[in-house]
Amino acid sequence: MFLSRSDYDRGVSTFSPEGRIFQVEYALEAIKLGSTAIGVQTKEGVILAVERRSTSPLVEATSIEKIVEIDRHLGCAISGLTADSRTIVDHARVAAQHHTFVYDEPIKVESLTQEVCDLALRFGEGASGEKRAMSRPFGVALLIGGVDENGPQLYQTDPSGNYVRYKAKALGSGSEGAQTELKNQYHADLTLAEGIQVALRILKQTMEEKMTEGNIQLATVTAAKGYFVHPIEEIKTLVEGLGQTAPGASTPATPTVQ
Amino acid sequence: MLSAAGPTHAGPVRIPMEHGFSPYTDNGGTTLAIAGDDYVIVAGDTRQSEGYSINTRYCPKVFKLDNNCVLATGGMAADGQNLVRRLKQSIEQYHHVHAKTMSPSALAQLLSVVLYGKRHFPYFVWNTLGGLDADGSGWVYSYDPVGNVEKRKWACAGSAGHLIMPFLDAKIGHHHQSQIDAKTEGKPGSVPFDTAMKYTKDAFTSATERDIYTGDLLEIFVIRKSGVTVEQIPLKRD
Amino acid sequence: MVTGTSVLGIKYKDGIMMAADTLASYGSLARFRDVQRIVPVGEHTLLGASGEMSDFAYIQEQLDKLLVADHLAADGHTAGPHFIWQYLSRLMYARRSRVNPLWNSLIVGGFRDGKRFLGFVDLQGTTYEASTIATGFGAYLGQPLLRKAVEGKEDTLTKEEAHKLLVDTLRVLYYRDARSLDKIQIATADASGVSVSEPFKLDSDWSFGADIRGYGAL
Repeated sequence: MFLSRSDYDRGVSTFSPEGRIFQVEYALEAIKLGSTAIGVQTKEGVILAVERRSTSPLVEATSIEKIVEIDRHLGCAISGLTADSRTIVDHARVAAQHHTFVYDEPIKVESLTQEVCDLALRFGEGASGEKRAMSRPFGVALLIGGVDENGPQLYQTDPSGNYVRYKAKALGSGSEGAQTELKNQYHADLTLAEGIQVALRILKQTMEEKMTEGNIQLATVTAAKGYFVHPIEEIKTLVEGLGQTAPGASTPATPTVQ
Repeated sequence: MLSAAGPTHAGPVRIPMEHGFSPYTDNGGTTLAIAGDDYVIVAGDTRQSEGYSINTRYCPKVFKLDNNCVLATGGMAADGQNLVRRLKQSIEQYHHVHAKTMSPSALAQLLSVVLYGKRHFPYFVWNTLGGLDADGSGWVYSYDPVGNVEKRKWACAGSAGHLIMPFLDAKIGHHHQSQIDAKTEGKPGSVPFDTAMKYTKDAFTSATERDIYTGDLLEIFVIRKSGVTVEQIPLKRD
Repeated sequence: MVTGTSVLGIKYKDGIMMAADTLASYGSLARFRDVQRIVPVGEHTLLGASGEMSDFAYIQEQLDKLLVADHLAADGHTAGPHFIWQYLSRLMYARRSRVNPLWNSLIVGGFRDGKRFLGFVDLQGTTYEASTIATGFGAYLGQPLLRKAVEGKEDTLTKEEAHKLLVDTLRVLYYRDARSLDKIQIATADASGVSVSEPFKLDSDWSFGADIRGYGAL
């Protein structure tokens, strides 16, 4: 006896007859409504760029924080229900600090990502009877960028607890177009400066508002400087530089990084 | 069993009394480690004692934890063995979780955390950990039972530790020496491998003469970039 | 608290031999005079205990459960001497770590797959293997005799020599250990399995010291 979809989309611990857990899939949908976030991995470091999308011109856009530090060598860009990310980021920061305390070394980017994903499935009971930590799946996806002994790495996590490593990845409402553009514009030899150009250029295309230094956020993670939030003056220069060059132009204005 | 000085009792029969129990014992033994520019020697005798008795002539207290980490334990053998079991599990778990081998510096910190975790019921063990760092140079970490740790170039511990320490300070560190010929003695804190091996053996043969808890067999672990090797040297069995 | 005194264990040419008397004392009172302190555990292992006899009974109970579980699993695995020793070391160390020890010194002896095993575990979780082991007073009075006769001769010592050595050593203990008895059992573990002898009497001579050789008499 098959029941209709609506009978299976309530419980977070019930598979539908087709083998799906609807609440998780809906959570994935929630992310597609989020603001656009872009991550690019280069040999020099990882770039994270997001749109600070505000609902009203009266909102102070600079108060919207969607890129955060997890550790000196780890940063993360958020898309989706940002409130949910607080839990995740807190957990990630504790995990990173705990690793440093126990092993006197920075946690690997992949280990940290795995740590975050372990939390993502805590809406059900754990295999060994752990208490369920929340009533529903998270409504956010993260782009985790970091540098460790294996070099700069970019990972994407989602509410299903999956994580995938990407060379370049876009999340949120503008992700479809942005991902296609990333595919066109990404190449393995990108410098950090070029990577920033690519990220900002594509982010600009996805934005409904005019891109300014006030409505985006840009961070990089490099071996030399670690997690670094680029100051607003620098972003201003970068954004102005983008305006002067057509998308895909061969010689963009060089940003002043590091 | 009866207590020798039981409670005062009117009758001729003394009532049986619970013995005081100590969860700790000292099984003696000596450990030593010398780190060089491209090696670490970690050594220990294999005698296990209790009071004036020798329990056995062969109970190892130096353990290879992986290809780049050797741990010497001294003090209470049971605690030492159980600590090593825990560390081996942690190392394997770390391997699974982080897909890499644990570096000696990471293990050094972990050991400190593990020991301090039992601050109120300590492992009665004096540990000495040896390993090569990322540059391939040797280092020694030495601990007290509650996890205080110091990174050094040489260390010794256990029942003859106090006999050997000044010897190592003088010969390896050139401490308090008025006439050291730098040409023949080399740089302080960086002795050639063959010299360090000689010091190790001499330290133990001498300690065996003076310390009743040291003897029977010397087990010397050598860590190099190529891995860990073990050598056994007989010591006096008296 | 009812306690047993020394247990002895040695390696010999064909296996392991162990010995103990059958006394369980209540303090200085020789309370129970027919207590078996060396028992077979499975087909290949002997367990000898000194110390608290009811703790020893509890240990036997735990081992029985283990053996029954092994039997019911019927997967071809049976507990061998090393396994039993390792299990006991975990049990004893766990109990000492809870500061609620099982008050025993245990000797595990066995023979399996052509290999001898002789090991020790006590109430603090201390463990070791050796070719001669003695608990209690035996560690002071017996061990020197055993070491002299066995060390280096583990592969040549015959069953008869081993038997005589253990009887002679228990006799020394009987003379000097006031908590011992002249009723003893000898147990062996070899290729044919394990066996514990019926209790038998230790002969001893309590005549006037000056008339005994070594005490002044010629």
